[in-house]
Parts: sequence; structure tokens; C-alpha cells
Amino acid sequence: MNGGYMGKILWVDLTVNEFREEAIPAEIYEKYLSGTGLAAWLLSERIPTGADPLGPENILAFVSGLLTGTGSLFTGRWMVAGKSPLTGGWGDANCGGTLSPAIKRCGFDGIFFTGVSEKPVYLLIDHGRPELKDAGHLWGKDTAETEEYLIAESGGHARVAVIGPAGENLSLISGICNDRGRIAARSGLGAVMGSKRLKAMVLNGKKRIPVYQRAEVQRLSRQCNKWVQLQPPFISGPMAAYVGTIMRILPTQMAMEGMVYKILLKKWGTVSMNQMSVEIGDAPVMNWKGSNRDWGIRKSLSVNPDAFKSREKVKYHCYSCPLGCGGVCVTKGPYGDVHKPEYESVLALGGLCMNGDLESIFTMNEMLNRAGMDTISAGGTIAFAMECYEQGILTREDLDGLDLTWGNAAAMITLVEKMIKREGVGDLLADGSLAAARKIGKGAESYAVHAGGQELPMHDGRNDPGFNVHYYVEAAPGRHTIGAQLYYEMFQLWKRVSGLPRPPLFYHKDRKYVADEEKAVMAAACSRFMNVANGAGLCMFGLFLGAARIPAFAWLNAATGWRRTPEEYMAIGAAIQTLKQSFNIKHGVEPRSFQVVDRVVGRPPQNRGANKGRTMDIEKMRSDYWRQCGWDPKTGHPDGEVTPSRPSH
Amino acid sequence: MRSSPFKGEVGGGWANLTEQYFIPGPQRGYDMSYRITETCNGCGACVKLCPVGAITGEKKNLHLIDSLLCIDCGACGRICPVTAVKDSFGIVCERIKRNAWEKPQIDLKTCMPCGICIETCPVNCLAFAEPVLLVRELHAYPFLKEDKRCIGCGFCASECPVHAITMSSPSVTD
Repeated sequence: MNGGYMGKILWVDLTVNEFREEAIPAEIYEKYLSGTGLAAWLLSERIPTGADPLGPENILAFVSGLLTGTGSLFTGRWMVAGKSPLTGGWGDANCGGTLSPAIKRCGFDGIFFTGVSEKPVYLLIDHGRPELKDAGHLWGKDTAETEEYLIAESGGHARVAVIGPAGENLSLISGICNDRGRIAARSGLGAVMGSKRLKAMVLNGKKRIPVYQRAEVQRLSRQCNKWVQLQPPFISGPMAAYVGTIMRILPTQMAMEGMVYKILLKKWGTVSMNQMSVEIGDAPVMNWKGSNRDWGIRKSLSVNPDAFKSREKVKYHCYSCPLGCGGVCVTKGPYGDVHKPEYESVLALGGLCMNGDLESIFTMNEMLNRAGMDTISAGGTIAFAMECYEQGILTREDLDGLDLTWGNAAAMITLVEKMIKREGVGDLLADGSLAAARKIGKGAESYAVHAGGQELPMHDGRNDPGFNVHYYVEAAPGRHTIGAQLYYEMFQLWKRVSGLPRPPLFYHKDRKYVADEEKAVMAAACSRFMNVANGAGLCMFGLFLGAARIPAFAWLNAATGWRRTPEEYMAIGAAIQTLKQSFNIKHGVEPRSFQVVDRVVGRPPQNRGANKGRTMDIEKMRSDYWRQCGWDPKTGHPDGEVTPSRPSH
Repeated sequence: MRSSPFKGEVGGGWANLTEQYFIPGPQRGYDMSYRITETCNGCGACVKLCPVGAITGEKKNLHLIDSLLCIDCGACGRICPVTAVKDSFGIVCERIKRNAWEKPQIDLKTCMPCGICIETCPVNCLAFAEPVLLVRELHAYPFLKEDKRCIGCGFCASECPVHAITMSSPSVTD
């Protein structure tokens, strides 16, 4: 008997209130793992061409990872997948918390919803028995409130995934929450859940998760944990910004060591990079037109890592995570104890809108979490509206009297509230910047910074072109959690996977912008590796430790009883990538249609700041990536059954 | 007819759950389960204790364990006053007084903390400590919050990757 997976999934047809269990053959797990791989396979087969993302034919999948619950570390991620209403193609989102083991402990590797319910319902699984219950009284309530109510009602220990008012109002930038504000935010899957009138999913599972060799998995975990616990005393928060300044000024770049980032994460969480990122040129400022010169160290001092740490009450760990990058912070506002905002949220609601007011960032972050709206997309959309206002495309009357100048925190809070409730101008902006720009017209589209309709995250591709490649080549575009040159350096895959290039320890920065074959090899390796990670339920921050320190492949072998080489796992990752790409093509989303926003790739280059004079040949990089994946380099179409090519080096 | 993903036979095939819900999957990990023998006097002590509701039976009649629900925690075997329960190896379980059941002792120096034990506990008796009880910088550590609910199954100890949990009966530690 093998292990790691439960071997079956649950189908819930919301239209007719029917449940079915489907046994998944072992070959599928061997071919596509569990998690998003399993979802990609099922959704590719079962969602008919031309299905309306917000209609009954779309499938919303909640999947757990292959390694979740096996005693491995950093494997508490759960994934949602479906046809995205935001991009029209493959949509997935990924979230931590405690839901992932709960799915498996109900006896399933995934829970798949189809159809549309007549009235609001929620799914309750207790002792393995699924049941749809009326959620009329919960409709309209925020995520934290709903979650607390449902946990109390089902005995006090259930794990809950829930949408807020944003998802109910079918905002295309809404997500799905668990643990009072951890959110699977991207790809607009909250709207899919809202369209199905499914308010929540309550899991009360107690099944045990089979493991092939638990002792071996645990032995590997102990080794990995030693690296995680290695934590020297470190410099203060505001000082961390100056490390970024030094990195910016130096002409050479040092290959990034993931252990350094791990130390920062363990101490501060993702907010450790707030100021440093602006200084290096990694964080976009002022809707991507500004630079560190506009939002320098002094202006951003209010959001320095220590400002967040001083409010931290207790650290927050996702399931099976020894690192604990999250935190619970105390606020003076009406919400009391809230989740510590993440780097992406702080920069999207801060630097991108030139807002340095810490209190307002806490407030907006919590408002968005409770509404179940993506902070990255919401911040990006507000920044877009700000630039439209500056350019005179949106007038004060259009904005319901809001003076939406750069950094006007009070106006931003009002706008967020309007977006959540879809009131006035909020209705226009609740579907993201591209949808709004198309409605506004007047050339507003050139200020919408997006990939395939999804707002870009807070990593500037002009600093690390690897980000830009993944923004425009992934089946779910505009995502920062798949690859970059920086990530490739931190993953240290060459230590485990043969044939991958090892970056030099020091190199000149200009090297990053050369669109050569090696960049494509690196990008393809990142995509493949993250597909394996999303199949296994692994957290990216754990993987940053480096392949030699986090035994991802060895865990998979020990948990499942397979005997696979890292190269074989990378081939699985490539197969999943092809599945997702084919999904897009089946649904009419041409890979070439992800139009590149000129500003993002430095056309024309910026004339000041960290990314001054930087530009890149994104079309060539994209075409190289497709070739590396074994797809048509002109169209990005996988040709029939693609056998993933081993990287040639 | 509306197109539906319910079509087609895939692998193990379909089961209509509205009629009969539980089907054995091809990859079930714990096919062996605890069993109740003829000795059962139907007192119902195990029914109340079973964390997954796997035991059914009329009062004063032979009880039955649903092998597809049983998670092998062994609580029924420990509580049974007439030793009528056999474990998955067919060995008759010994009765142990409830106050002598083993309970988890958590070594906070070894603990990471990762929360695996909290999610593993079938009776949810472990929880993260309130910040008052913190021992190291801001991290919350697990503790036995509701020791009366603990059934001494030892799942927390066996699933802890760093062996921070040991099971010991109160008489040893007190």
C-alpha cells in the first residue's frame, strides 16, 4: 500500500444537492501528484469548452497537497482551482492556514463543487458525511464573523473556508478565506464561489492520513528543522532598508542565499522586505511609474519591519510550519486583533499608492480580508484610479467626490469600502483595473498594470526580469509565486536536479537583462518545481531554504513509497504546466493574448531611481520559455502529447 | 441535459452517495480496525467515547464498529469493562482505569512549534497556549487544554516529527 493520498475526491453538485465520491486511480497521482496537478487534470477533462466561469458548468476545486499531514514540514498549503472569471482561463490560488489537513482528514484529496445553488448554502462534512445547509442568515456577513459562527455551531473545532461580501457580490478580484483572514486571493475564485451561492465549507474530519514510511518522513523533517531553527541575532528593521540601498548601489549582484531570507522571515515575516524592496528596486511605486526616489527610506519609514513587529502579539504558524512568518497584531481600530499584513498588502496599499500611513494599511488590510477581497488587486486598482484622477480621466464627480490624490489614506479607505459594497464608483472598480479601464475608455487602459486582466504583484520585473517572464507566460498570469531569477537562486535546484545551470556567486547586474537561453531554462525549472510544490502542498518560503536543505523530493518518495528521481518529479511538473496551458487554449485564451504593459518591461526605460535605464526583450524571453517547455515558440501551443525535454546543459 | 462532470467511469467508478455513502476506496490506509467480540454486554461506554462515531448498537445488545470509520485510536478497548474489544491485530485490549490513561507531555525545548499535534488530535484536546504561557519569543506552543477529553491515543506523539511529545500515565509524572 502506498501513502500520502486518500485516493478519492468528493463531488458536490449544488444544483441538485447531490454528493458523489470518485476514486482516483493510483496512476493519476503518479502522473500529476495531488493538489493543483490533480485539479488541473480533472478540470481540463470536466469543464466544457466555453463554460461561463460564473455559471453552473464551472468547477470549483479545493485540493490538499500530497505531502500534507505526512509529518513533513512546510506542507500546510491548500489550493483552489477553477476557470477564472478574471482572466477567462486557468485560475488557481494558494493559501496557508489549517484547512489543508482538514480536507484530507475528511477522507478526500479534494472537494469539487459544480452547479449553482438556488439559495445560499454551506457545506458541512462531519464524521465523513457531507451535508448542504442553509446559509441565508450568513449571507452578507464578513469572513471572520461567519467563520466564528460556523466553528461554534459545529462543535468548536471545525476548519472553515469562507467568502465575504466581495465574493458574494461577484467582485472579480475576490478570494476565499480561512483562519480569519488567510486568503486564497488570486484569480478571482471568490466570485466563482459566490456565483455558486456557496458561502462556506466546514470540515470536521478525523481520518488518519496514510504514510508509506512515517519514520523516514519525520527523520527528514528533523534535518530540515535544524536549518529553520538556525537564527542568529539580527539587525533592526529600519537598518534592513540600508542593506537594500547597498545592494542597489553595487554594480555586482550576489547570488541570493535563501537562508538569509529565512532569517528575515522568521524574525519579521514577509514585511521584512518592505523598505528593502523599494530600495533595491523590487517594489513598484506610484502605480509602477515611480521609483525609490519618490518613496525613499524616510517616506517609507512608517512601514518599516519593526513598526509591525512592535504590534505583534503572537506569531502565527500555518499547519506543519516551524517558521511562523505570520503574526497576530493588536490594532487600536474596531477590529482588535488582526492578522499581520503581508509584504504584498503593505506595498499594494502603501508604496503603490504612495500611502505611508501605517494605521490605514492595517485598517484596509483587515477590511479586505474580512470582505474576502484580494489586497494586491485592490491596491493595484486603487493606484490605477489614482493615476486616472491625476491624468484627469476620472474626475472628482466620477469618484463620488473623493479627492483621490497619491497617498490620501482617508480617501483610500472610503474607496475600499465602496469597492467591497459595490457602491457608486466602487462598482466600477470592484472587478479590477482592466475591467474598469475598458468601461472608462479615454485611454485609461494604458494605466492599468495587469497581465491577462490580473493586477501585477509587488515585484518589479525591471529589477528582476524573471518576474516579468512568469507574469506573462503562466497559465494563471500575473503571479509572483512561481518563479524569478531570484527564486531560482534561492531554490538551489542544481544541487538536486542534474543539468540545471548554477549561477555564479557574483555577477554583474547587466547579466540579468540578457535574454539568453539560460534564463529560459531557469524560468522553466521554476515553473516545473512550483507545480510539484503545489501538488505536494509545499510552501514557497520553505523551499527558499534551498533544495539541499528542504528534502522536497525525498519527502515525496518516503511518503508515497515511490522511487523517483528529482528529474522525474520535474518532468511531472512539466506535464502539469502543459495541462494548464492546454486548459487555456481549450477555453480560447491564447497564450499570446496576455498583453505586455509597456511600463512594466521598461518601455521606455525609467529615467531615475533603482531601475533607471532598464529594459528587456520580453517577447524573446517568452518565446524562449515556450521553446524550453517544448511548446511552439511562436504561439505557445503545446503540440499534442508533449514529452517534457530535459534541460540541455 | 446540463453537461455535468458526473459522467463517465473513471478508475474506481462511481457510487451514489445519497443511497449508500461509504465506499471502500482502492487506497484506504487503515483497512484493519478494532472489533467487538461476543463478550460485549452493550453498556455503551465505548459509544460515548468513540471520537469518530464508529460504534453503533442497542443498549444491552452486541455493539458493532464500522471498520471504515474506525481510526484505530483504541479508546473503546481501554474503556470496555468486560474486555470485549480486539485491536486490529486481533489481540484483546486490556482495560485501563480512565485516570491512569497516558497523556501527552510536551517538551517545549524540542517543540518547533508546527501545530501538527493540534491538527492530529481526534478529540481536539490540544491547543496553542495563550500568550501568557509563552516560553520563547512570541511563538505560541501547544498544550493539553482539555485533559479530561484526552483519550490517550498517542497520535500526537507518533506524528510529532521532532519527538517533542511523550505519552506517560499520570501516576508516573505526578
